[in-house]
Amino acid sequence: MAFDIRPIQPKFCGEVFDFDLRHPLSAEDIVAVHDGMDKHGVLVFHGQKMTDEEHLAFTKQLGPVQTNESANLIKRKERRLDLDFSDVSNLDKDEKLLARDDRRRMFSLGNRLWHSDASFRAVPAKYSLLYGHIVPPTGGNTEFSDMRQAYNTLDNETKVEIEDLICEHSNLFSRAQIGFDKFTDEELVAFKPVQQRLVRYHPKMDYKTLYMSTHIGGIIGWPRPEAMAFIRDLLEHATQKAFVYSHKWEQGDLVIWDNRQTMHRVRRYDDLKYVRDMRRTTLMGDGLTVEQQAA
Amino acid sequence: MAIQIKPIKRLIGGEIDGVDLRRPLSDDDIAAIHAGMDKYAVLIFHGQQMDNVEHLEFTKLLGQLQPNVDTNVTKVEDRRLSVDFSDVSNIGKNHEILERDSRRRMFSLGNRLWHSDQSYRAIPAKYSMLYGHVVPPVGGNTEFAHMGAAYDALDDNTKAEIEDLVCEHSLLNSRAQIGFTDYSEDELPKFKPVLQRLVRHHPAMDRKSLYLASHIGAIVGWPRPEAMVFIRDLMEHATQPEFVYSHQWRQGDLVIWDNPQTMHRVRRFDDLKHKRDMRRTTTVCEGPTVAQQAA
Repeated sequence: MAFDIRPIQPKFCGEVFDFDLRHPLSAEDIVAVHDGMDKHGVLVFHGQKMTDEEHLAFTKQLGPVQTNESANLIKRKERRLDLDFSDVSNLDKDEKLLARDDRRRMFSLGNRLWHSDASFRAVPAKYSLLYGHIVPPTGGNTEFSDMRQAYNTLDNETKVEIEDLICEHSNLFSRAQIGFDKFTDEELVAFKPVQQRLVRYHPKMDYKTLYMSTHIGGIIGWPRPEAMAFIRDLLEHATQKAFVYSHKWEQGDLVIWDNRQTMHRVRRYDDLKYVRDMRRTTLMGDGLTVEQQAA
Repeated sequence: MAIQIKPIKRLIGGEIDGVDLRRPLSDDDIAAIHAGMDKYAVLIFHGQQMDNVEHLEFTKLLGQLQPNVDTNVTKVEDRRLSVDFSDVSNIGKNHEILERDSRRRMFSLGNRLWHSDQSYRAIPAKYSMLYGHVVPPVGGNTEFAHMGAAYDALDDNTKAEIEDLVCEHSLLNSRAQIGFTDYSEDELPKFKPVLQRLVRHHPAMDRKSLYLASHIGAIVGWPRPEAMVFIRDLMEHATQPEFVYSHQWRQGDLVIWDNPQTMHRVRRFDDLKHKRDMRRTTTVCEGPTVAQQAA
């Protein structure tokens, strides 16, 4: 194998030093990345020096890219980055800090809640690849929770109860949790809920995961408040400290996570004072988790 | 002193065996209960055999009763208990278990979220006294979190930041968190938000505490989404296992908690199958935490 993975926690997350991802990767390297992702859920590649082009080129070697269309509020002409990137920064098009009450800032605050990327798409995200261009001096950690351990540690009764449950996911639901509800008609259409299984199965690794996200706003067949109180209990279970790794960013970290087996969130930092410039590419998932019309 | 309190956890809770609260209590007994409440924040009196009249008489020895008006969506004529009591049960007026989609059941699911009783009243609750008439065989624990301990564990920056913050509390906010929005026109005015300080001072203990509840929907002067994610972070901090006691009910337990110093919530149980008959009386605080027109 071309690089060594050092486990960060016994069962979750690994890190790689001294491996430059800008070089075209060998077939063996690609396999090693995928195997590492299957095993660890999250990989941190330290000390990268990537341009956007190199970031995207690396991403494409791992699979088909999911563009960032209709995943947020930002109109195309206001974007700082190309559509292949999610702009996970506090900057506007002119590289200025977003003002306190800027609508984009309000919307992005939803990332402080636990979620799995693009679970609000019928075909959701596989990996997210987030690169730290500029990191704030303090705060702004990204936390990851292990949804394999979350599933495994449920009692048997709960496992049976949830096995075939299907949830509705939408950006509207996660934003409603923080009182953001000012959407245009166009956005309301783009954020129409999609369905996802609550329990996913990973055939290659032969394990199950809880597929959760604050984007969940309902369980099919359940009264809504009952569903939401139950989902909150499960989210709390899934994010207990023992299952969580908190990543303190250094400039040049490229962090890859598997959205099928993890949740994540960003923690607070002084975003009115410090720049946090993170750029994310996303790999398309393998398919639907539930038969439905693709949104 | 006749009343002996055994501590339950390092930071929260005390329990008392062998004291019948129906007997006439001396001034010393009353003083011992108040001192125990100050110190432990939650007291469990095991093995009581009270009827509603005795429960109410005991309550009045400890403070001024707060009748249960304007705190839920059940009309007076549909109540099972008199307005002196909060009906913390899954039982209707005719002793039947509430149906899955019953509106009263949907509304009470909000009790599964952490809260402090009646923080949505300008003059909020002091003690809540919950008596277990019928307890389910499994589940339905009540959990308590100590807000003095939670405050103490904050870093100094956060303490300085929150010292003078004022929050808006309303039942509408906690119910919105679980997607309950089914109100009639005449109900909405009684759920109008009130203001509460985020940091309270407990005079007897000369100690500060976080005054939090899922009823919070805003911080005065903050953009709403920013306030709500910050409150979520504080709630998570405040309810970590170290600060929490989970009470598994026995029939005949009378549990008293000090709302200014605690949050609590009920956990899930099979409420479509088993009865849980709990009845609560509430005493009122001496005044508002923020100067405002009484709601």
